[in-house]
Amino acid sequence: MKKILAVTACPTGIAHTYMAAEALGQAAVEKQVDIKIETRGAVGVENELSEADIAEAYAIIIAAETDVGEARFDGKAILKVAIGEAIKDPGKVIDQAMALPPTTPKVIDQAVKNREERSFQVTGPYKHLMTGVSYMLPIVVAGGLMIAVSFIFGIEAFKEQGTLAEALMTIGGGSAFALMVPMLAGFIAFSIAEKPGLAPGLIGGMLATKTGAGFLGGIIAGFLAGYVVQFMKTYIKLPKNFAGLLPILIIPFVGSAVVGLLMIYVVGTPVKAIMDGFSGWLANLGAGNAALLGLVLGAMMAFDMGGPVNKAAYTFAIGLLGTGFYGPIAAVMAAGMTPPLGIWLATLLAPRKFSAEEREAGKAAGVLGISFITEGAIPFAAADPFRVIPSIMIGSAVTGALSMAFGATLRAPHGGIFVLMIPNAVGNLGMYVISLIAGTVVTALILSVVKKKKAEV
Amino acid sequence: MELLDIITDETVFIGLEASSQEECLQAMAGGMEKAGILSNKDVYIAAVAEREHKGSTGIGFGVAIPHGKSSGVQTPGLAFARLKSPVEWNSLDGKPVQLVFLIGVPEEAAGDAHIKILIALSRKLVHAEFREKMLAVNSTAELYQVLQAI
Repeated sequence: MKKILAVTACPTGIAHTYMAAEALGQAAVEKQVDIKIETRGAVGVENELSEADIAEAYAIIIAAETDVGEARFDGKAILKVAIGEAIKDPGKVIDQAMALPPTTPKVIDQAVKNREERSFQVTGPYKHLMTGVSYMLPIVVAGGLMIAVSFIFGIEAFKEQGTLAEALMTIGGGSAFALMVPMLAGFIAFSIAEKPGLAPGLIGGMLATKTGAGFLGGIIAGFLAGYVVQFMKTYIKLPKNFAGLLPILIIPFVGSAVVGLLMIYVVGTPVKAIMDGFSGWLANLGAGNAALLGLVLGAMMAFDMGGPVNKAAYTFAIGLLGTGFYGPIAAVMAAGMTPPLGIWLATLLAPRKFSAEEREAGKAAGVLGISFITEGAIPFAAADPFRVIPSIMIGSAVTGALSMAFGATLRAPHGGIFVLMIPNAVGNLGMYVISLIAGTVVTALILSVVKKKKAEV
Repeated sequence: MELLDIITDETVFIGLEASSQEECLQAMAGGMEKAGILSNKDVYIAAVAEREHKGSTGIGFGVAIPHGKSSGVQTPGLAFARLKSPVEWNSLDGKPVQLVFLIGVPEEAAGDAHIKILIALSRKLVHAEFREKMLAVNSTAELYQVLQAI
């Protein structure tokens, strides 16, 4: 039987909220419809709808004149009516709700939802880091693509004064990428200490860039700024008359001074040494070690499909992209594309091992795959984790290793297959495509073998 | 806590003569003031009028439940009127109103027992059978009898 939910609310919360609830309840009994009604009135929220209720509901009626927290109903069939309508003609309202077109959770929506839920769940330093990364990402995308477009005119075209290529390079490389590390540091600090953390974080990030401590230095600057400001907010108690000075004068000044001096005198030099050492190592990486790095990054991308491990590999590669190393980001993007692509191919190669629904979802996974949305593999991995996750990890590791070994490079941080169409954006394009295809095929073949036959079909 | 605790003889008007919504509210609020429910009648009436302005409280079936949450209310209270002749109330179903329940709630009264009883009344009014009983009421004593059943 279809289950219906309803929420009723009105500003005073004495009369209409409850009359509407009563009327809907009565009409539902007459129509033999299963209903649960949440009331938000003067005595607070009663009979609150649980996540399970919402998940199994066919449709949700909102009869309210105030906010009822609608976001929790995302993706559901929703009928909004005036609260008076629910009182006057509850039967009709219920009929309308029952007649709403059914919503089926789509693979794409699910992937997006998974992604959002995860960002809600994470806490602590990892959350702060991810907040920083998520604010930085648009800048990296803007800058990376701008640079990629400038390469359309030739790899060296931007060196010509006054050309469009030079302008694009100034926008992307000179401006967007210059903001990258400060943004990262600023919003790590923002995530920890809210608004007061932003200024010291941005400044610390800028210093990380200037001292050559780069991406790693930026992360340190962000956490430093965040915790220093958080400490100041907690422990500095001023007399009431001066309390207003704390956020506008004392924290920006003292916080930035502390963070800045630490960056210059303490953090900068050793971190620069680490970064330089690391850069040197990367620059002189033999094919074997390069393949190993690609293998590890690739497997990480597939391990949790958009989760912390995946993001760690991606963040690492982004940091290197900002430092001028274009190999790892190429490996990471390709390895992030193969899990959904491989699954899509597997649904074609071995249709008997997938339900009709899964075969349909496979097409969507393919679309997500070419767009570099690794989350597209999640529905399949969730249904059969012990077979699917190792399969996609192996495929991604193959792709990552090949991409690195072939020395493929990528100048943009995202974009999936579409970025491959920009001339000069990808270095060693032919071999890069082969790496991508190889991982996809490996994933699909392993899946075709290890997946169990479906009883139906 | 029962409904009878918040309604008194002074706030029951059987066969009230009123030619307009305003006249009706004035008379009923007057009774509430006498019964000590209101501390400031004008402030309360203004709150009720504002609520009406946002959307009529005429819920159809000849019933209206004007209400106001206001600092002009001292203790939660209820007034009841059965009008001699129906008055216009902009009701949801367009019909004039014959039964009026006027509810007064102090500004700071969330979650209190009086509120719960008023909520119970609101719920009850949705049922046709209850409304019919109310329409048939001819004396204060009869009203109390019906209300006691809530």
